[in-house]
Amino acid sequence: MTDASLPNTGGAPKSGSLHEIDARTKKRNAAEKRFRMYGVAAIATGIIFLLVLLFAILGNGLGAFQQTFISVPVYLDESKLDKKGNRNIDDIKKVSTFGYNPLIQKAVLKAVVDAGIETPLKKSKDMKALISASAAAQVRQAVIDNPALIGQTVEFRFLASSRVDGYLKGRVHRELLARDKNIDAEHLDIVDGLKEIGVVKKTFNSAFIFGADASESRAEQAGIGVSMIGSLFMMLVVLFLALPIGVAASIYLEEFAPKNRWTDLIEVNISNLAAVPSIVFGILGLAVFIQFMHLPQSAPLVGGLVLTLMTLPTIIISTRASLKAVPPSIRDAALGVGASKMQSVFHHVLPLAAPGILTGTIIGLAQALGETAPLLLIGMVGYIASNPPGGVIEGLMSPNSAMPAQIYEWAKRADPAYYERAWGGIIILLIFLVSMNTLAVLLRRRFERRW
Amino acid sequence: MYDTAKLGTDVNQNETKISARNVQVYYGDTHAIKDVNVDIEAKSVTAFIGPSGCGKSTFLRCINRMNDTIDVCRVEGDIKIDGEDIYDKRVDPVQLRAKVGMVFQKPNPFPKSIYDNIAYGPRIHGLAKNKAELDEIVEKSLRRGAIWNEVKDRLHAPGTGLSGGQQQRLCIARAVATEPEVLLMDEPCSALDPIATAQVEELIDELRDQYSVVIVTHSMQQAARVSQKTAFFHLGNLVEYGDTSQIFTNPNDERTESYITGRIG
Ligand SMILES: Nc1ncnc2c1ncn2[C@@H]1O[C@H](COP(=O)(O)OP(=O)(O)OP(=O)(O)O)[C@@H](O)[C@H]1O
Ligand SMILES: [Mg+2]
Repeated sequence: MTDASLPNTGGAPKSGSLHEIDARTKKRNAAEKRFRMYGVAAIATGIIFLLVLLFAILGNGLGAFQQTFISVPVYLDESKLDKKGNRNIDDIKKVSTFGYNPLIQKAVLKAVVDAGIETPLKKSKDMKALISASAAAQVRQAVIDNPALIGQTVEFRFLASSRVDGYLKGRVHRELLARDKNIDAEHLDIVDGLKEIGVVKKTFNSAFIFGADASESRAEQAGIGVSMIGSLFMMLVVLFLALPIGVAASIYLEEFAPKNRWTDLIEVNISNLAAVPSIVFGILGLAVFIQFMHLPQSAPLVGGLVLTLMTLPTIIISTRASLKAVPPSIRDAALGVGASKMQSVFHHVLPLAAPGILTGTIIGLAQALGETAPLLLIGMVGYIASNPPGGVIEGLMSPNSAMPAQIYEWAKRADPAYYERAWGGIIILLIFLVSMNTLAVLLRRRFERRW
Repeated sequence: MYDTAKLGTDVNQNETKISARNVQVYYGDTHAIKDVNVDIEAKSVTAFIGPSGCGKSTFLRCINRMNDTIDVCRVEGDIKIDGEDIYDKRVDPVQLRAKVGMVFQKPNPFPKSIYDNIAYGPRIHGLAKNKAELDEIVEKSLRRGAIWNEVKDRLHAPGTGLSGGQQQRLCIARAVATEPEVLLMDEPCSALDPIATAQVEELIDELRDQYSVVIVTHSMQQAARVSQKTAFFHLGNLVEYGDTSQIFTNPNDERTESYITGRIG
């Protein structure tokens, strides 16, 4: 124990020269160096994992933002679409998408022949594998919107089928075609040929960001937009319920409630609630909101209510922490000039705690935005073929999904094209989460006050 | 109590402003103030002295019921201001605190502008009818707080940006802005340098014409300089209370004597 310093009475140093490092110091320095190295190693590992994750997500998901399209002129045959020839809209509507398919296939075949591509596929039916099943609906809608088009040749831009899209993105390989009954090598030859002359083209696909989900067999058509709206409505519910309830509860508990066994119990249970698995909130929501209160299934309103339950503890805990962080001297000062308890809280304490409360709320919202498990139980996952809702009420009450639930749903589907879309959805979800967290950090920086 | 008339050094013979009878304060099981009886005069300065932990702050906080904010704290006995029991059920502590201002040991300006610091009290008590009146109150209070000249050009700068001494004078100005009748000061100079301390002491002396000032201090010199009456607390008891000149020159109790000569504390 050389450095357990006894008062050094003599003039001369007790130990050796300062220029020689003694064994003890050496050991201590070595330990310090080791510790720093562990730290650096830990952080480096973290960064490597993060990079791997980022590359995996981007590598797998970026493809979803591009889509292959086939542009061909389609002859809208009057004898098929309007047999009576009087352009009666009701008669035109009677022609289903089955009536349009042959026209489209014929148009594609014509494009192939015009391009001079050698192919054993001579029948227009053979072209079916190239075009998305959504093409017929697209043409039909155009004709219904404007019956004057009948009899003309109109240029359409169709989604290519997911196999063609996969071929252009390198997901579909010629060697594996034997096992794929949806497309043959001859089709791919045609695609190669059409690609050269620009009929088949891969471009940015805004429908992925703004569109609705599609059925299992039309991966090329699916988008995350409608479930994004579902998430938005849920977040609105969470914000408008969890923020006021959470803040009011925290203010009461922190500033007004007597400190006794009951408030202690409540406090402990709020912390416990924060640790309850989210699926438990899901089944609670199912039992209370759907089975007991008969709110509609799969509705963002119910999802929002469930997520509110889940977010409340987070908001309460962070709000209380930021209220606690306001120095008591500020409260004393306000009470000292004759402010009431409520005035001291609302005029002084709350404004000082606001940045912390906001940060906590945004982080709570971000958590809720990424939550999937409780949504499974209230039916917000699955193929929900809705269009964007028309208004707030419809948005809250009509069935919808949410971004993470949509991603989960896509990942479950068989078509490999959906796998890519799941990764693409994750990119969009992460963009939202990262921007919310950035906003939280910025708010905290901007409004942080020293006193 | 002590017969102040006999000692004959008092500046102005005043009526009693605050009278405390058999005051007991408990923090849970701790008996912090034991049976204190004291009469504090109007328009004079009373100093509370005593060793750390003897209960000076506790007793001071009884006078504006700041102890109400401490859950475990319990006050017994009577405290009357102008003959009215302030612990009566009908008394709203908020109204009481507008009448009994307080300056805390640590300067605690609101993290708002200098102007808003002063204007806050008058605003919530409705003392000003319009902006012009409020401006006037702010200026008057800042002048009373001996800080007007330093801050008049930056009334909208944050109060927390001032130096410690300026902050404390700002807090004093804030306390007088609501026109209280009693001003309680808990070690107002403990964070201040000698120059700021002198300014605050001068200020206290001026405040005496209008208010009853009660000041807690650890500095004997300060107590001797600013106060007319001094109360010495020890272990929760009020040991001696009398004219400042008498307490410092001729204390009756030997505990007082040991304390002021530096033997206990
Ligand atoms: N909030 C509280 N809870 C429990 N006990 C307290 C509390 N405040 C003060 N006390 C106790 O009451 C007694 C008196 O404290 P008080 O603060 O009044 O002393 P003081 O004379 O002002 O001391 P100082 O000169 O150090 O400020 C002390 O024993 C203290 O421990
Ligand atoms: Mg004290």
